[in-house]
This record gives sequence, structure tokens and C-alpha cells, in this order.
Amino acid sequence: MVAQHKTRLGILLVTPALIFTVVCFLLPVLALLLDAFRVGSLDSGTLHWGISRFIDFFAEPLNRQVFLRTLRIAALVTLCAALLSYPAAQAIVRVSPSWRGLVLGMMILPLMVSPIARTYAWIVLFGRNGAINAVLLHLGLADAPQRLLFSEMAVFVGLLQLLLPLMLMSLVSSMENLSRDIALAASTLGANAWQVFTRVTLPLTQEGLIVGGTLVFTGCVTAYVTPALLGGPKVLMLETLLYQKVSVESDFSSANVIAVILVAMTLAVNAGLKRISAPRRSSLAGSVK
Amino acid sequence: MKSLLQQPGLFSRTILWLVFLFLLGPFVIVFLAGFSAGETLAFPPTAYSLRWILEVVAAEEFQQAFLTSLQIGLLATVIALLLGVPVAYAMSRMPPPGMGAIKQILTSPLIIPAMLVGLGLLRHFVLLVDAPVFLGLLIGHIGLLTPYAVRVVYASLINLRVDIEEAAITLGASRAQTFRLIVLPNIRSAVIAAFFLAFVTSFNQVPVSLFLTGPGISTLPIEMLGHMENSFDPSIAALSTLLVLFTMAFVLVTEKVLGISKYM
Repeated sequence: MVAQHKTRLGILLVTPALIFTVVCFLLPVLALLLDAFRVGSLDSGTLHWGISRFIDFFAEPLNRQVFLRTLRIAALVTLCAALLSYPAAQAIVRVSPSWRGLVLGMMILPLMVSPIARTYAWIVLFGRNGAINAVLLHLGLADAPQRLLFSEMAVFVGLLQLLLPLMLMSLVSSMENLSRDIALAASTLGANAWQVFTRVTLPLTQEGLIVGGTLVFTGCVTAYVTPALLGGPKVLMLETLLYQKVSVESDFSSANVIAVILVAMTLAVNAGLKRISAPRRSSLAGSVK
Repeated sequence: MKSLLQQPGLFSRTILWLVFLFLLGPFVIVFLAGFSAGETLAFPPTAYSLRWILEVVAAEEFQQAFLTSLQIGLLATVIALLLGVPVAYAMSRMPPPGMGAIKQILTSPLIIPAMLVGLGLLRHFVLLVDAPVFLGLLIGHIGLLTPYAVRVVYASLINLRVDIEEAAITLGASRAQTFRLIVLPNIRSAVIAAFFLAFVTSFNQVPVSLFLTGPGISTLPIEMLGHMENSFDPSIAALSTLLVLFTMAFVLVTEKVLGISKYM
């Protein structure tokens, strides 16, 4: 009786949020995704399901190029974020308690600042009259201002700065759970720093790496502000291409196809994450205990 | 190389400083550009002044957009908390059947690319039923913020002992009284942290708002993007300077008072 009452109350409490999310959030997106598979028009009675919109989309060399560029930049940013975050996270975990608050604050500050403000710095740096060109001209390394903005390099740097904190935070939290004694034991037993890292730290923080990697990769794929400001119309990524298709060309067919690609990519990465981390979590727990 | 690796403290500390320089250094550059006196954006500026800071604060289009952002942020955050706190409570105390599936649905806004939400709401809600754009914008933001509210409050609820609630109920309090008098005071700081995190998320949001703004209604980030397309004056640097300074003060205070980093 009491248990039944509790279950009913539980259902009652989640219902408003559930209805809201499904009706106001999922349905509009779902409708958008379904549009991509709907071919022909209702008026002429030729409406049917098919993938011809996808074939048309990928037949266009520019679209293929944008698709591959998005994958390339996302992979590179994820890799570099991991390479930088491992040593940095290790240093953060070792920070003395009195400095800890400040260091954590410095880590989360960039995440709270408007992405426009964060990206703007790179416009100032990379612009024609920007800091880097000023230095190049001053040192005589260039006779005329170089074109640094609206390049793949600029987008890469901007995205790395934008998303690195996510990798850093997830590695810090997985290293915090890792007893320092384990690494100490390994080095006492004769492992050098590299061996301690590859044979002890890396396997034991794999989960944090995977979570951070997912956040950074999907963050790159779904970022809009950074590629829009640093890549411009010359270096399009999927999100900026989608915006251009809708607002400049009114090409909703391509926009719907890009929507499906974006959702498929994020779902695939997240599903992959679950598959990789689920079995490992149990084996990890076993090996630590 | 070997000697460097044998001093792991030194190597990783050096990388940490470089990472912080990379993450925070650009803000210094934004500050310098924001305080420049020049007509166009150049770095380093030839002279410094408050000219552009004063100009953006007085600019009507930015004032209007700021107010819209404030309205949307506050409304969406409050509604997201009203939807999210009950979910967090149910999840931690009385999980309804099918909790796994429910969780999946409720966290889907974190996975779905935000721009698609904006486009979906525009095409299949605002244009379909001729709803006001403001409503579409608000709905998009609420959906985006609800998972944050659930996550932060849930994390605090599972650390709260259940037996004090059971004691209250045994002593004759109703469920509602127990929640109001026992649970809520104990999760207050989590609710406040959720409020701040959600508000900042809404205030900085671009992709959801991109398609849900137009003539007459614009949020501050969207207005900034629009301004950047037409002009190269330092006003966006000045606005960014203000935003960074506010955020810094905000993070310092919330980290000191609430330890907000543990909720992220």
C-alpha cells in the first residue's frame, strides 16, 4: 500500500518534465529529422520515403569536404586536448589544498565565459592588424600582414581553447579517485615515469579519458560560434554549413540532411562511449580492489 | 628527456602553466582591446580609454538584447528548476518504473545538437502554429536547462541521508511538509548552484537562439554576432571585457561560497 503510493508519487513528480521534454523538445527535432527522409511533395502526390536527399547532399564536393573537415578538426582537437590534459591534470591533483580553490576556479572560469568573448581574443590575435601579424612584421619575418584568420588553423586553436577544460576536468576527477600510492608502488618496484604512466595511470584513468574525449569530440562537431567567427564562410564546418543553408540559401533539404548527420554522429559517439566504458568499469573496479 | 621525466612534478607543472596561459591569456588580450581608444580594432592599441566601454553600455540595441537575455535566462532557469527538482527527488527517493528510459529521455537535450532544437522549434512550432518567437526561444532554453537542474540537485540528494526524512514522516509530517521543512533546507546550496549554472548556460547560449531570434527580439550573444558581421570597431571587445569581468567575479564568489566546481 505504502510502496504503491510511493511509486505513484514518483510517477507524478517526473511527469511534467517528461511531457515537456518529449513534446517541446524531442518532437520538433524528430520532425526535423524525418523531413530528411521525405522525398517529393505532398501537392503533386509524389510524397514517399527515401534517401535521395542524402545522395544529393554527398554528391556535392563542397559538402563532402565540410563533412571530412569537421571529422578531421574534431579528431585533432580531441587528441591534442588529451595530450595536454594528462600532465596538466596530474599537476592539478598534486596542488596543495590551499591553492586548490584558485586552480579549480581557473579551470572552470573559461567554461563560464561567453564563447563569443573567448573566441574574440583569437580575432584580435589573428586579425590583419592583430598581435601575431604585428610581431611577424616587427621581426621582419613577413613583409605584409599574413592571412591567419578564416583558416583551419584558427578554427583548430579556437576549438582547442574552448573545449580543453572539459577534458581537463574529466581527467582531474578520475585521477582524484586514483590513490597516489598505486603510482608510488609501481615506481618503488622499479618502473620509470613512462612505465608508470602507460601501465598504471593510463589504464586506470581510461574512463575519464573516454568521457572527456566524447565531450570534446561532440563539442567540436556541434560548435557554432568558433567556426563561424574564426573559419567564416571559407572554412565551413557542419554547423556553420547548416546555418548558411537555412539563412542564406533557404535550402531546407540540405539542412535536414545535416541535422541527421549531426545527430547520428553525436549518438554514435555516445553509444560507443557506453559500450567501451561499461565492461571496463567492472574490470577496473576489480583490479583496484 | 629522461631527467625531465624523472622529475614528474616539474614536467607536469610546466605543462599546467602553459595550459593556463593558453586558456586565460586570451582574456588579457580581450581586455587590452576592450580598453582601446582607436576607431578600429588593432592590436596592440595605440591608446587606451573607456570610450568603447561607455559606448556599448549606452547603446540601445545592446541594452535591449541584454534585457531579453536576462528575461529568458531568469524565466527559463526558474521553470527548469520547477520541472527538474521534482524529477531529482523522485529519482533519488522513489524511482518510478522505467527509470532508465525516463533518464535517457530527460538527458537527451544534453546530447542533441542545440542548433537543431532551435531549427526544429522554428519550423515545427513557431511557424507551424504561428506562436510568438519569444515563446519558442523560452521553450528551447527551458529544455536545455532542465537536465542541468536535475543533475546538480540529484547529486546533492543522494548524499542526503534518507532517515531524517523517515523520522519526520514517522513523527506525523506529510510528504510535502517533509520536503519543504527537511529536504529543501538541506539541498539549498545545490539548488542555488543549479540556478547559477543554468542561468549562465542560458545567458551564453548561441545555437538554440540562432534561429529563434529575429527583428525585434534578440539575445545579447546573437546581437553581438550580428554586430560583428557589419563592423570591425572595438565595441565587441569592450562588451566581451565586461562579460569576462562579470563572469570572473561571479565564479570567484560562487566557488568561494558554494564550491561550484564540484557541481559541474
